[in-house]
Amino acid sequence: MTADGARPDAGGQPVPGTPAHPVLSLDRVCLSFGGLRALDELDLQVGGREVVSIIGPNGAGKSTVFNVITGIYEPGGGDVRFAGRSIAGHLPHAIARLGIARTFQSLRLFLNMSVIENVMAATYGGTKAMPWESILRLPRARREERAVREQAEEILSFFGQRLAGYRRDQPAYSLSYANRRRLEIARALATRPRLLLLDEPAAGMNPAETHEITELIGRLRDERDLAILVIEHDMHVVAGCSDRVIALDHGVKIAEGGFDDVAAHPAVVEAYLGRDPEALAEGE
Amino acid sequence: MSVDPPSAAGAGPEVGADEWVARQARRHEQLPGLLGQAQRLAGRVGWWPRLAAAALAAAALPALGLGGFQLQVGINALLLALLALGLNVTVGWAGLLDLGYVAFFGFGAYGFALLSSGQLGAAGIHLPAYLSLPIVMAGAAILGLLVGLPSRRLIGDYLAIVTLFFGEAFLEFTTNVAPRTLGGPNGIVGIDPIQAFGVQLTSNAGYFYLLLILLVATMAALRLLDNSRTGRAWRAVREDPLAAAAMTIPVSRVKLMAFAFGAVIAALAGTVFAAQQISVFPPDFNTAYLILIYAGLILGGAGSIAGAVLGGLVVVIILDGFLRSPTEAGYIFYGLILVALVVKLRPWRKLAAVAAATIALGFAAHAVAGAISARAVAGGPQSTGWIATAVRDWVIVPASPKTAGNIAFVVLVCLLIALVQARGRWRTALLPPAIYLAACVWEARLVAEPSITRQILIGVVLIVMMNARPQGLLGSRRVEVPA
Amino acid sequence: MDFFVQELVNGITTGALYALVALGFSMVYGVLKLLNFAHGDLYMIGAFTGYFVIQWFGGPSALTIPVPALVLIMLVLAAGLAGGLGLAIERFAYRPLRDAPRIAPLITAIGISFFLENSALLLFGGQTRVYNTPDFISLSSGISIGPVTISSVQIMVLVLGAVLMAGLQMLVNRTSLGRRMRAVAADREAAEMLGINVNATIAVTFFIGSALAGVAGVMAGLMFNQVTNLIGFLVGLKAFTAAVVGGIGSIPGAMLGGLLIGLAESFITGYISSTYTNLIVFGILIAVMLARPSGLLGRAQLQKV
Repeated sequence: MTADGARPDAGGQPVPGTPAHPVLSLDRVCLSFGGLRALDELDLQVGGREVVSIIGPNGAGKSTVFNVITGIYEPGGGDVRFAGRSIAGHLPHAIARLGIARTFQSLRLFLNMSVIENVMAATYGGTKAMPWESILRLPRARREERAVREQAEEILSFFGQRLAGYRRDQPAYSLSYANRRRLEIARALATRPRLLLLDEPAAGMNPAETHEITELIGRLRDERDLAILVIEHDMHVVAGCSDRVIALDHGVKIAEGGFDDVAAHPAVVEAYLGRDPEALAEGE
Repeated sequence: MSVDPPSAAGAGPEVGADEWVARQARRHEQLPGLLGQAQRLAGRVGWWPRLAAAALAAAALPALGLGGFQLQVGINALLLALLALGLNVTVGWAGLLDLGYVAFFGFGAYGFALLSSGQLGAAGIHLPAYLSLPIVMAGAAILGLLVGLPSRRLIGDYLAIVTLFFGEAFLEFTTNVAPRTLGGPNGIVGIDPIQAFGVQLTSNAGYFYLLLILLVATMAALRLLDNSRTGRAWRAVREDPLAAAAMTIPVSRVKLMAFAFGAVIAALAGTVFAAQQISVFPPDFNTAYLILIYAGLILGGAGSIAGAVLGGLVVVIILDGFLRSPTEAGYIFYGLILVALVVKLRPWRKLAAVAAATIALGFAAHAVAGAISARAVAGGPQSTGWIATAVRDWVIVPASPKTAGNIAFVVLVCLLIALVQARGRWRTALLPPAIYLAACVWEARLVAEPSITRQILIGVVLIVMMNARPQGLLGSRRVEVPA
Repeated sequence: MDFFVQELVNGITTGALYALVALGFSMVYGVLKLLNFAHGDLYMIGAFTGYFVIQWFGGPSALTIPVPALVLIMLVLAAGLAGGLGLAIERFAYRPLRDAPRIAPLITAIGISFFLENSALLLFGGQTRVYNTPDFISLSSGISIGPVTISSVQIMVLVLGAVLMAGLQMLVNRTSLGRRMRAVAADREAAEMLGINVNATIAVTFFIGSALAGVAGVMAGLMFNQVTNLIGFLVGLKAFTAAVVGGIGSIPGAMLGGLLIGLAESFITGYISSTYTNLIVFGILIAVMLARPSGLLGRAQLQKV
């Protein structure tokens, strides 16, 4: 199978809008935990400047897709290609250095570091100063330190007043839930990614904040030139930000296409609302 | 883009909002009263003027006429502060529980002892310090990397065990392997003093200044490192290794670096230790000393440079004071109780009531015990000097103080546990008997066993600090989300 | 060959001791996920208890009660005392730290271990106390098969060890208490929500584990004869490793680990050199932990994200 070109989805129809030259492509990726098949021959492409959403019921394997892409799990079969090269089996930090950044559904900030330090810590891969250079404050270390601070401030200012001012020097644990989600995105941006993976960016937010996040995702794509893969349960966000939507169930892609098509797809409806009781009783 | 939810104008931040949380946290961190003012004042000047001022003050100490014993305590204290500083890198910043840390100290000491003494070869190799020091430190860095290797795979508890084994293996190695070279249990004696460029350090004052310079230099270096990409990476790995890896930080390499840094600092302390002592023995590097280093770090506050140093200094100065003389030990013992009461008991009326009750309880108990049996108070306090005179008719020390003291010790431990568990009035009510019993145990038993008392107190410091103030004296409070 | 068999027997008996200590340690780790560094010191307390019981009943050469009764009293008292102490430690030092950062209870455990060791030094003195077992249990009593001798103390250790381990296995797998223990070990919060009294379960586990250490202390006193305030440290260290080698949290694993370490020690002492025993054993243990961090019988855990 080739990595480019339109590809039939589970329903057998060609999917419009699949990018010709994807930034990220998963080819027939499989992953099992013991006997449980978490991902089954999953194909997925994300093009440059494209927002792709992954939807599906709980346990469909959405976060597992992220973990495979970022190298936390090694795929049991198939290949993950990023910018034309295979990254399957690479270590997480190496993958992040190549330009894939992510946020975590369960929020994994460096809680006891300040807001700006959280962002600056993520520039590690983009800087080179050795410890002794930092200790002696040699030119390269000073230059990098200045650049990193400016970069961090620039990224934080992307979020307007939310993470600005006095908040920069506060420990991350003092932030509100919504601001923690924003800081996760800011931190991910500091790795200078080409592809951003957002794991439920609107979880736990109120409607106004959810709306704000939807706009933010669009701005990230347009202003920062990012390819974005989003996992989201809130269908307002998915509808508002996605160029393309992929539906997963039990590790299998069951639908792909525009939001309206996927949302109306019978397999998706079935996955969300349940099958008839007999099918359930037969075991999954 | 919308703005923050509006708060009532002029009414301060909304409860629960970020600003409010931050303000509360800041208020929480601050010490009360005068100490708090000093803290705010210190916060206004930069870190290096503070460090320089502290260093100058410390440098003036020998000139004030510290005697031989005080100077030795000073050296021990600086040494432990330096060790705690190194441990802070591995434990406090990178969050790796290294229980073999003391072996790096031993490695530095033995390394210097071999390179700068008559031990190797027929006449020894007697390298000058400016050669042997870098060699030893480079060796320690490599050893640190090797010992750190398990940290790539093992986390938390398992790493603790493996490093603990490494520490034990170092002891076994120096005690049993190659007795010709390493001296076995007899150690290595006749180590050269530190000499470089025509200067030879032979006096304790010289070593005091050398250690002070090294300590201040290390503090400055670590402070600069803390605010660099390396320092941030260490703390990120401590906070969340998985997220750190996802943020381009090579977790394994960063952990190894933390091990190596800690090892180098420990080895540096070891070389000075060996040169100052002129001899090294395996038990110098046993688990008891490791625990002392940990006690210093924990007391001061893991993760804080100033905390590590302060903790190291305080632990040694207080504990070594016990070894000096029964009178000085008594000053420290009663002084500690008094300080704890003054700090913890508010308002002062309560303090006065507890003090009065304790004194009254003592005389009453003494009178009752004396009336029942003369032997029960026949022992007399084992302290010397005016303290002994002062408490003679107050504490109960029976004719055979050992058995009675032992029993009283066990009762005291139970009483202290009860004290910790009790709340409000009950706690206050339990205080006088607890203090009185502590004084009795001290006079009957502990004062005669200063080195054991010292060790017991180290254990108590660890337990109490972890339960009462896990961030230590100077560390900042940390939150942790259970994994 | 005879030498080999003799070392084998010695190794198995020492191993049974380690296994008993490892068992308690492993149980505690199971429910609390805490390396209880003070566990070895409870073993020391048990050994001292046994010593004082012997002195109480007239000393080794002039016992006032029959030997089986003496041994029974020693075991029961040591188990009770060590168990009670373990209970107190859990209640007052570990329980307040349940939700603290992982490093806090660990350092507390080190502090408690240090406190116990030095309190014992204060109370019992630094000299080595001697059980003088041969004075009341003849060395020649026991079984001799050809040149290989299994002394009656060794037989007792083996039998008691086997009985205790079997009993524990039954307790954990067959009783409702065991089910509660396993539930708490698997997920404390879920267990609590299901109405299990988590505090009580942890306390009972601590008691049983500590009592086992106390029993092992008495058996060690009978077998090796010598007691000091520092015997707990090394045994504790080896028991940790036995538990880890076998797979922490697993009862058969702790037994297997204990036996392996006992055998390794016995053979290294017998065939190589007693000087290097500890060094070599440490080396092996580090290697095993690096090669198989989840232990021989343990299962690797999936990383949760």
